Amino acid sequence: MDRGTALANGTKSWSIHWRNTTSRLLLAYGVFFVIWGMVLLGSIYWETRHYLENRTDTQLRQQVGYLRSLDEDHMLVALNDYVVLEETNYNAWGLFDAQGKWLYGDILQMPPGVKPDAATLRLPTEQVVGGPFAPKTSKLSVIAARLANGQILVLAHTTRIAAQVGSIIWHALWWGLSFTLVPGLIGGLILNRAPRRRIRQIESATRVIMQGDLRRRLPVSNRGDELDRLAAIVNDMLDQIERLMGEVKGVCDNIAHDLRTPLTRLRSQLYRVEQQMQEDDPHAVLVEQCVSDIDEVLARFRALLRISELEDRRRREGFVAVDLGQTLQHVHELYAPLAEDQSLQFALQTEPNLLAQADPDLLFEAIGNLVSNAIKFTPPGGSVVVRVKRTEPGIAHIEVVDSGPGIPEVQRHAVWQRFYRGEGGIDTAAGHGLGLSIVAAIAKLHDFDLHIEGGQGGTRMVMVCRLL
Amino acid sequence: MPHILVIEDDEITAREIALELAAHGISADRVHDGAQGFQRALEPRYDAITLDLMLPGMDGLTLVKQLRERGITTPVLMISALGDVDERVRGLRAGGDDYLTKPFAPDEMAARIEVLLRRHRQEHPAQTKLRVADLELDMISRIARRGARELTLLPTEYRLLEFLMRYPGQVLTRAMIFESVWGLRFDPGTNLIDVHIARLRRKVDGEGDPVLIRTVRGSGYRIG
Repeated sequence: MDRGTALANGTKSWSIHWRNTTSRLLLAYGVFFVIWGMVLLGSIYWETRHYLENRTDTQLRQQVGYLRSLDEDHMLVALNDYVVLEETNYNAWGLFDAQGKWLYGDILQMPPGVKPDAATLRLPTEQVVGGPFAPKTSKLSVIAARLANGQILVLAHTTRIAAQVGSIIWHALWWGLSFTLVPGLIGGLILNRAPRRRIRQIESATRVIMQGDLRRRLPVSNRGDELDRLAAIVNDMLDQIERLMGEVKGVCDNIAHDLRTPLTRLRSQLYRVEQQMQEDDPHAVLVEQCVSDIDEVLARFRALLRISELEDRRRREGFVAVDLGQTLQHVHELYAPLAEDQSLQFALQTEPNLLAQADPDLLFEAIGNLVSNAIKFTPPGGSVVVRVKRTEPGIAHIEVVDSGPGIPEVQRHAVWQRFYRGEGGIDTAAGHGLGLSIVAAIAKLHDFDLHIEGGQGGTRMVMVCRLL
Repeated sequence: MPHILVIEDDEITAREIALELAAHGISADRVHDGAQGFQRALEPRYDAITLDLMLPGMDGLTLVKQLRERGITTPVLMISALGDVDERVRGLRAGGDDYLTKPFAPDEMAARIEVLLRRHRQEHPAQTKLRVADLELDMISRIARRGARELTLLPTEYRLLEFLMRYPGQVLTRAMIFESVWGLRFDPGTNLIDVHIARLRRKVDGEGDPVLIRTVRGSGYRIG
């Protein structure tokens, strides 16, 4: 599987999602917004709380100051009023004798750390009051004052307002965030969908181009955004590549094409000379050799032009359902005498009912070339096997396996290219090295994969066919 | 002597065709444009036509289509610079009998014309037996005999022998053999057809028999 299809795979679609520019922007903005919102509201909360606590402390001090100025009876009444009249805040008090022993009030024990006439302390609620009437807030402000008769008055005060303000601010933060982030994310996804669709279009167009259709271009909308600008640049580049490729191929084809006519003429003149010679003329052999050499050159040119023709061909008009087993059987029949002449074991292994959409003649040519190649490069006494088998549902492998010298791993890719011929021993064999390029061109036309595997010392050519 | 109409706008090619045909004892008239070619082709005196597909006046495909519409069955060898497979199929579908790509070896062209001429003559009487010297092929029982000796032939060998025997004394190039016997048009390498012929020859030309299947230097094969 190539990278393009891997990217399009569903399993990775989420990572693609987040790799997208808009998504990243959205995410970064979201994070920034959350932090900024938290800082803003946090500082408001902190300021408010500080202010309210200060006020509470001032109130406590004032109240203690007021209470200690009363006599005991009045003070007790005032203390009751103090507890009852307050609605928004919870208040508690306790009166202790000089030794800290409880006399009156809700505060039953001298809270730890509290000293008379000191500054306000903030203490956990459970250290000050208990029981069912204890406030739900976690902390209380506590102040103590020594009265004129030596008793100690302790006042506790909860700032429920401060807590409420805090929670209002927190709520505001969460609601604000969710009202901003959730629609933001959804909106982002929707906004993202259009560019992602276009990326997919570009991806599919690119895949076609990579498969050799250089005439295809990336889609450009009339919005003129970044994607369009990028696509336009790539399209310009493709124009240039197509032009250059056309030139290179054109030069190659033109040479082959233009040389064919004079060579054919040369051949026919030599042929005529040959016909006019006496059978026993010693030059006759020489002339015959010349004719066959020219035939060889012409065959190469034909093959070259044939490859170009196959590469140019994008139509699949000639495609029909082809029985792979039968095709292999015919190939086997055609090449069996050749293999036998070279003292090779030539085996055929097929399975019935393997149908593929193919051009029957071209497929025959491709397999024939593979077989011919295998026979050519396998030394006498060796073996060649041509077989087709279903490897998985919808896929069949056509294999041509020989016991020849094999193709070194580094050369396996190069053999499909025009004019490649193996190093060393392979080079000595006759043949014009274009056979495998023709195979490659035919396979490409069919969208069949080709690869070479090294067997035990031999070569295994595999053509992966899609079945009907 | 067979008479051929050569419709070809390239002067050099036309001359070459005529020259080669003359060497095979075939006379030829040359015409350089399509419309004129069409008029001449309507005359019944031609045994075959070589037709360039790209012509001034009227293109080759239209020409052959109109000939066939008028019931003219003169065999046509189409000659084209376009080697495209589809082009060939289109040419044959329009009514051409054979197709040759430019540039071509003149002997190949001549061999094809001769086969066309003979095929055209043979078409009417339905033969059931082919005979070349003492070699006999019964196309109903599919049995081949060389003198009294019955030959055991594989299906491919039978088809090959039948094709050779249909055109006795006639040079058949390797390409023609490959096209007719196997129905394929690609370059299988010179060797392949030779190997098949060699096998057939071992069966047909036994020891002491005069040689029937001959190799024609630089061209192909001939029986008889």
